[in-house]
Amino acid sequence: MKKEKDTAVKKPALSWYKRMDFSKKMALWGFIFMLPWLLGMLLFFLEPLLKMLWYSVCSMSLDGGKFRGTYIGFENYKYAMGGDPHFNRMLVEAFTNMAKAVPFQIFLALFIAILLNGEYKGRGFFRAIFVIPIILATGVASFKLREAELAVATVESVVDLDWLIDLVVNSGIPEDLTTMLVEYVENIFDVVTTCGVQTLLFLGALQAISPSLYEVAKMEGCSQFETFCKITLPMVSPTILVCLVYSIADTFATAQVSYADTTMAFSQYIYDITFKGQAPFYGYGAAMSFIYFLAALVTVGVVCGIVSKGVFYYD
Amino acid sequence: MTKLTRKERMQKAEEMAGISFWVDLRKGRLTKYAIQKQAKRFLSMLFRYVILICLSFIVIIPLWNLVRDAFTAPAVLGDQSSAWIPQQTSKIFMEVALSKNLMNFLPNLVKTLLLTASLTFLQILSTGMAAYSFARLKFKGSNILFFFVILTIVVPTDSMMLAQYATFRNFDILGLIGLVKGNGQGINMTGSFVGQYILAGMGMGVKSGLYIYFMRQAVRGLPISVEEAAQVDGAGFLRTFFSIVVPSMSGSILTVSVLSFLWNYTDTYYVRLLNGTTTSHLAYTYKGLQGNVRWALSSAANANKTWLLSINPQDPFAQTAAISACAILVVLPLIIMYAFVQKRFVQGAARSGLGGD
Repeated sequence: MKKEKDTAVKKPALSWYKRMDFSKKMALWGFIFMLPWLLGMLLFFLEPLLKMLWYSVCSMSLDGGKFRGTYIGFENYKYAMGGDPHFNRMLVEAFTNMAKAVPFQIFLALFIAILLNGEYKGRGFFRAIFVIPIILATGVASFKLREAELAVATVESVVDLDWLIDLVVNSGIPEDLTTMLVEYVENIFDVVTTCGVQTLLFLGALQAISPSLYEVAKMEGCSQFETFCKITLPMVSPTILVCLVYSIADTFATAQVSYADTTMAFSQYIYDITFKGQAPFYGYGAAMSFIYFLAALVTVGVVCGIVSKGVFYYD
Repeated sequence: MTKLTRKERMQKAEEMAGISFWVDLRKGRLTKYAIQKQAKRFLSMLFRYVILICLSFIVIIPLWNLVRDAFTAPAVLGDQSSAWIPQQTSKIFMEVALSKNLMNFLPNLVKTLLLTASLTFLQILSTGMAAYSFARLKFKGSNILFFFVILTIVVPTDSMMLAQYATFRNFDILGLIGLVKGNGQGINMTGSFVGQYILAGMGMGVKSGLYIYFMRQAVRGLPISVEEAAQVDGAGFLRTFFSIVVPSMSGSILTVSVLSFLWNYTDTYYVRLLNGTTTSHLAYTYKGLQGNVRWALSSAANANKTWLLSINPQDPFAQTAAISACAILVVLPLIIMYAFVQKRFVQGAARSGLGGD
């Protein structure tokens, strides 16, 4: 990569480069800029992905320390969709959880970012606080010690919110709405802790908005709401798209689904079946992963297809 | 004439323009409009603070739990009265966590920070370049290539662990390397940091797809006319990129750098996959500690008499406290770093000075 740069810039003797069209030069440099990523993608992403695709149509066995696959067609996929007692239900559950969580995440992230963005005392403090969810979401600060579960159970104090729920239910608001609201309020902890990345991305996008735009709006007499709709929202709309993709991918990847009276991570289920069964189930695990990617990818495609219509770009 | 500070200048200007509420109040020319405006401002401030404090509370609680556990004195561990605030504090668990037997904290921290910083730099460079190309270069198939960026975001890397391990264990490009080496075997890239550097430098590191996507959107949000103007004035591609594009999207680069640093620092997946034998990575050491905390705690206690007297390694509460102290030590550098960096998040200079766009 570096060598190519040097030869192109320092050696004017390269007459073919000098004679090149300007647009062609640009294209060449663009290609060079993309090259590291392209190579990395082909070698370290696509290659393992295709390998996995091969595993998923095979019955894999470990044989003298080496993997050996025998082609069995779409049996693994058929089993995942029909034979597995849990997979289908878990997939649907992961999907519905995602559909519920993502809009709320995006909304809350934008809201927090706008609150964090203005000029006020203690800005540094609050901004530092809202990076904590990102750190916590990586699982660095969470731990489960088998022997210490008792400790957690005794120390944790539960805040009782039942009276509040009763109040809302009895106030005459339609029941569906209340249950939805209550669910959101109960989940607010999860949502706040999972929308850290989106908040940071929105904060970055808000900061890139030129203050002169707001000045103009103020001069023209826009209300706060109008300013939000006409300036803030269009200017952060490209970031909304990024956040949607990230949210969908992330909630899918960390989806918690119910399994035998408790919840477990969907990926953990796949991992357990792949590595902890009686026989190595690599092929079947790969097939499940593929169905899982596909579901996430289709969702991302549909959502982006709809949302990208309303996204504002300068170009 | 003495030079006035910015605040004083602002005050003077406000006084002259007669737009400050307090100046108006002092001079007794308070209008209904000024009062309304001031009330509005006060209410929106109040609203902002109430919401931010409530949400901060939610965010801080898990961290507070760690701090509470880590600073509780061994004598009152697990006591109901110390459920929120420890009745009796001690630094003993922090001292234990800093000791060699648990995480070998300081040397490991230095190594991890160096590794993380270089990985972040490589990652930002490779993804930033790719993002710029994706944003500005339109060619046949660019959409298909971008589809692969989305795919790298959507496919969780840990589900490809098996295939990725096979790839890195025996790295080969269509059998060419094996052919050159003569034994038909590829390069083993596991067991050192090289694999991580290569991944980061080739835009395939931790969550690289997200950075490419975000920075691409950021570039598309910049008016192309500035770059065109630079090119008309004779700037080449590299010059346009490094002196026009990079400064004007510095905010986005900063955001992405913060994320990249956080995730490289806390990443344990690639460390385990590519470099599982060495134990100098802090987050990885911390994760490994969870499995054998009892053993580590007792060996630490055996090395120090005062600890031996007050800490019982068999006690689950003591184990929780020790792990919490370790978690604080792991997380703290990140928060301190971010607290410094966030000052550089300044309201966009990005498009100031641009008329007519």
